[in-house]
Amino acid sequence: MSLKSERRGIHVDQSELLCKKGCGYYGNPAWQGFCSKCWREEYHKARQKQIQEDWELAERLQREEEEAYASSQGTQGAQSLTFSKFEEKKTNEKSRKVTTVKKFFGASSRAGTKKEVQEAKAPSPSIHRQASIETDRVSKEFIEFLKTYHKPGQEIYKQCKIFLDAMHHKRELSIEEQSECAQDFYQNVAEKLQIRWKVSPEKLEKAMDQIEKYIMTRLYKYVFCPETTEDEKKDLAVQKRIRALHWVTPQMLCVPVNEDIPEVSDMVVKAITDIIEMDSKRVPHDKLACITKCSNHIFNAIKITRNEPASADDFLQTLIYIVLKGNPPRLQSNIQYITRFCNPSRLMSGEDGYYFTNLCCAVAFIEKLDAQSLNLSNEDFDRYMSGQTSPKKQEPESWSPDVCIGVKQMYKNLDLLSQLNERQEIIVSEAKKLERDLIDWTDGIAKEVQDIVEKYPLEIKPKNPPLAAIDSENVENDRLPPPLQPQVYAG
Amino acid sequence: AGGGGGRSFSFKVVLLGEGCVGKTSLVLRYCENKFNDKHITTLQASFLTKKLNIGGKRVNLAIWDTAGQERFHALGPIYYRDSNGAILVYDITDEDSFQKVKNWVKELRKMLGNEICLCIVGNKIDLEKERHVSVQEAETYAESVGAKHYHTSAKQNKGIEELFLDLCKRMIETAQVDERARGNGSSQSGTARRGVQIIDDEPQVQSSGGCCSSG
Repeated sequence: MSLKSERRGIHVDQSELLCKKGCGYYGNPAWQGFCSKCWREEYHKARQKQIQEDWELAERLQREEEEAYASSQGTQGAQSLTFSKFEEKKTNEKSRKVTTVKKFFGASSRAGTKKEVQEAKAPSPSIHRQASIETDRVSKEFIEFLKTYHKPGQEIYKQCKIFLDAMHHKRELSIEEQSECAQDFYQNVAEKLQIRWKVSPEKLEKAMDQIEKYIMTRLYKYVFCPETTEDEKKDLAVQKRIRALHWVTPQMLCVPVNEDIPEVSDMVVKAITDIIEMDSKRVPHDKLACITKCSNHIFNAIKITRNEPASADDFLQTLIYIVLKGNPPRLQSNIQYITRFCNPSRLMSGEDGYYFTNLCCAVAFIEKLDAQSLNLSNEDFDRYMSGQTSPKKQEPESWSPDVCIGVKQMYKNLDLLSQLNERQEIIVSEAKKLERDLIDWTDGIAKEVQDIVEKYPLEIKPKNPPLAAIDSENVENDRLPPPLQPQVYAG
Repeated sequence: AGGGGGRSFSFKVVLLGEGCVGKTSLVLRYCENKFNDKHITTLQASFLTKKLNIGGKRVNLAIWDTAGQERFHALGPIYYRDSNGAILVYDITDEDSFQKVKNWVKELRKMLGNEICLCIVGNKIDLEKERHVSVQEAETYAESVGAKHYHTSAKQNKGIEELFLDLCKRMIETAQVDERARGNGSSQSGTARRGVQIIDDEPQVQSSGGCCSSG
């Protein structure tokens, strides 16, 4: 904001408007004076650097940990090493974030209401800036939207502002209490719209979606996976659990989806992408939309495989499989966040609510999953869980479970190609044989004709005298009876 | 969640029952009027909606199918939370499936009390010859737990329309009783206030803002 007002002076040099990099396009203060293209490049570079740094740090920490562990306990299994590496990286990432960003604000929040300003000037960089750009965009859209509601629109905006202010002072409260406030707010606004302004149900739904979008874009960073809860711990637990269940096959879950059909495996991949994408959305409603998209891809996969509408059993089994395969990030946090801050009417009865409920069921099932739920004996289950054996190794194909689909497909294709090659060779040899046969046959015919010609040489005889009447040679013609005469009968 | 305004309701109804008692066929017959049909256009039969008009009251029915396999039994509470009605389906040729229904009833009454309208449904009456659950037994049981009993055949389209219509009427009743118990004041004062809309506006705003920040 302050940046903009500075530049709004009278003397604006042409060069000041152009991209700082000198590419000739106009720059934008929101992108630090770069044009959109150059900014993206800069931002990308900065991000890459950040990622690289994070990675190096994680690696260093892992090395240190490894050394420490090695010195205390000697060697360790390869698998648990990769686990600890991952976890280390994750917690490390989180704690860094906390120290650099959250703690900074945590301290400043006591300083009072100037927090918003401080935020905008936050040193830690691009991600924050991006978020505030998005927040601005959402605000603008919200105001535009409310204009279509005239007077109630102004009222809604006022209410939202009051609510956000109130929430700002409630940041120290427990997340359940904050959730309660949000739910009360939704209910109040909805009632007002319905009863005082007689807004139609369709318009009400739209307005509620927009309100949710507006307030939750602003609250997201404070109420998603807050540090005061166990959410993050649970996230890691679920993630670990899913990783430990990597050996579960579609057959064990009775998944009604045949991934050998290319369209089906396509749908499965899309479903996995959707469920992973959920984590990147900020508004509960958008997160729900990801779950719904994922569900629709699942239904498509089932429909293609079985050609009948999916029942709840089919759907849940497939969803469990998708979650196991995708291992979506921060699953618990997302579920909790949606439960706490989504507009309740959407969550309770609508289609989105149904799919969300199924996702909750899938996670609950995965958490409690045991030998019985997969129709396995306890011994087998324990052996698979401890990683001693893997059910996939018993398959005729000796693929290790982690060979990627692409490689498998490649080998399959190579197989097909070699078969094709064989068939091609057979065809060629057959064709040659046919050619030879044809030549032989022509030769044979020619020879036969030659023989016949030799055997019966062509002789030209003098022409016979013309024949007389056909029956001139019949001597006894005279003795034949006279031809029958037609007789007429009376009546 | 009975709908607002008094004239339009949205209800959530869960379908419970063992694997092959015909839950899916039942809803597909009701919502699409099709049975085992190759031309069923819907992608799924797990979540279906139906709009009804019962005596001038608009009803939006959301029918939630639930996973019926034994291994998913523990997930029940997640499904039936906040539902207004439950349809418990058993197969009249399968004694076991009736036992399952009894278990569900116990659980539902324990978790949701009498708020929820229960329907016990004996499906597949087209297979009357192979009946293993006596009509007498089923109906007595239903009465003893405050549920209604219905006989249906998804194959022959028997009894299904009545089942859902009856259930909706009962849910409307429950919702209205509930509304009255909570004090019917809100909707009436709302209509009364309509006349003095504009003048009433400003003070209302502040009070609601205050109510927000306090609670």
